[in-house]
Amino acid sequence: MSSSSVPQLLLTGEHEAADGTELSLREAFALLRPRLRPPFPLRSPSSPAEYHQLILALAYGALSDHPRAARAHLVHLHATVSDGYSLFTRTLLHLSLHSFPRLLPSARARLLSVTSELIGTAAVGVDRLVVSLLRWVHIGDFSPPNLWLAEQLLGVLTLRWSWLLEEPSVLTSALFLFLRLLSDHYRLAAGDGRMDSLKSAEVGFCVRALREQFHLCVAIGRDLVRLLQDLVSVPEFRRLWEDLLIRPSDISRLYRRSTPAEYLLMGITPEMETRMRFLLSQVKTGSRRRYLEWFAGKFLRRPEQEAAAVDLVRFVCCAHHPPNEVLRSDVVPRWMMVGWLLTACRKNYFAAGAKLALFYDWLFFDEVNDSIMNIEPAILLMVNSVPEYVELTQTLMEFLLLLVDHYDEGRRDLILQSVRKAFREVVRKGVVQSLDALSTCSLISPALRESFTRLIHGSNPAQAQAVD
Amino acid sequence: MRLRDLVPSAANSVNTTFILLEKGHISSSKKKTGNKLQESRECLALVADESAAVEFLLWDSECEAFEPGDILRLTSGIFSFHRHKLVLRSGRKGRVEKVGEFTMLFVESPNMSDAALWTAAKKRRQEEPLGEGQLL
Repeated sequence: MSSSSVPQLLLTGEHEAADGTELSLREAFALLRPRLRPPFPLRSPSSPAEYHQLILALAYGALSDHPRAARAHLVHLHATVSDGYSLFTRTLLHLSLHSFPRLLPSARARLLSVTSELIGTAAVGVDRLVVSLLRWVHIGDFSPPNLWLAEQLLGVLTLRWSWLLEEPSVLTSALFLFLRLLSDHYRLAAGDGRMDSLKSAEVGFCVRALREQFHLCVAIGRDLVRLLQDLVSVPEFRRLWEDLLIRPSDISRLYRRSTPAEYLLMGITPEMETRMRFLLSQVKTGSRRRYLEWFAGKFLRRPEQEAAAVDLVRFVCCAHHPPNEVLRSDVVPRWMMVGWLLTACRKNYFAAGAKLALFYDWLFFDEVNDSIMNIEPAILLMVNSVPEYVELTQTLMEFLLLLVDHYDEGRRDLILQSVRKAFREVVRKGVVQSLDALSTCSLISPALRESFTRLIHGSNPAQAQAVD
Repeated sequence: MRLRDLVPSAANSVNTTFILLEKGHISSSKKKTGNKLQESRECLALVADESAAVEFLLWDSECEAFEPGDILRLTSGIFSFHRHKLVLRSGRKGRVEKVGEFTMLFVESPNMSDAALWTAAKKRRQEEPLGEGQLL
């Protein structure tokens, strides 16, 4: 058969270079195609190189060939595999991470069903493949392809529930994503049939995970509380919340646990991650303008996309910690990026979410268990915005005071002590020389300065001296 | 090659990679070849790499194919005067294709299409006739 009839895998524009991975898979498929039809040869591949080629060819065929042939490729795979599906799964993982946006719709559907099948065979590395697919669900995107992906993944995970219990990190990663999506999806009015049934599937999945496997869910740490609080208006979650409050020790336990970076990656796509890391490790402050325009143009322009700003702020604070040589260079600093993300939020609702995302680790800071890097962007943003953007500094100070008083009124004292510890630590570690820029700045209203001084030192002036 | 090393030439010999910074608007013109009326479009764009920037002339379907932030690879392109302006383009024999997005560093000066740059170089050469023959 001629190679011209080899089926397509990726969408490639007229002026777009071929994808390297697709090319190597396609070549293997074109080369071995005559041998890929039943009856399959009984002898197994004679060399590792031959095995490698065969697996790549089967991966290409399974995703792109017409349905009956694709089925045959999978049967062939099951009969041939000798490495626990490791190479096959890695090949799909690579495609998912690097080429998912370009995959043809038919290939995406195939990828989902093959993934489900790989879960059934306990394939080596299928956990990472599932997590990579979950990460392609966008926050703040109600387009049919995005909703389709969320529906399909929920379907696979519900079907493979017992496997999930053996892979707790996939369960909790999926829980993080779907809780986040729910708060996004509940902002839309009910009445859209498709969205309503997706929401109810998401609620079903999350409530089941939380009620039946709460001991696993605590691995998410304090961001689990942040996500759940966004959903208190949803009846199922209100009931769940009331049950949780009966066991206050659970909440305190969650507050003390800083959320591992892997969960914060669930809120942003691999594409956003690559670009954000590039900006924060290579781009000089003076050349950032065009990159920020491009980034916003692709990921933050439409009103509903603003929702992603919250996840980007959490990512920048907690999942991207640049090495010292970058910190010392004139590469775009994290606080500047956060400042820019805050200004990208036009709706108050998202702006409040982004500010909470920025201060969240301050509220539960403990110098033993928490990284100073998580709280560094907020203090630098407040201090460096004086005098040019002093309104931003004021807004942030006011917001922090509000959080201390009202975020969790039952644990006000814990939060107050944590915020004080955070301020002490940023001075002790030399992130800022002192807090004078905030407490004595004449551009900031006297009332706010006074509340701020009381916040960091307590009402006792002697105590204040001791802290300085 | 780096954009900084471009020299005007009539040969289709430029192979390079750059990032698209800006696109002007697309203008179309009609030309009569034989008894057919052919429409063609062009669009002047600014592109750059880590060494320099240059104006790139997009032609026909290239005009819509690329957006700012796209990383493009040019093979067998040409850097020459086109309507009194020094521009880089793929020309009839060359080819430009998108190879990525966003993750490429660039500088915006010098701009190799800037006529003053070449006038200054020419003047320098005239003052130092025994120099190495370097353009810049």
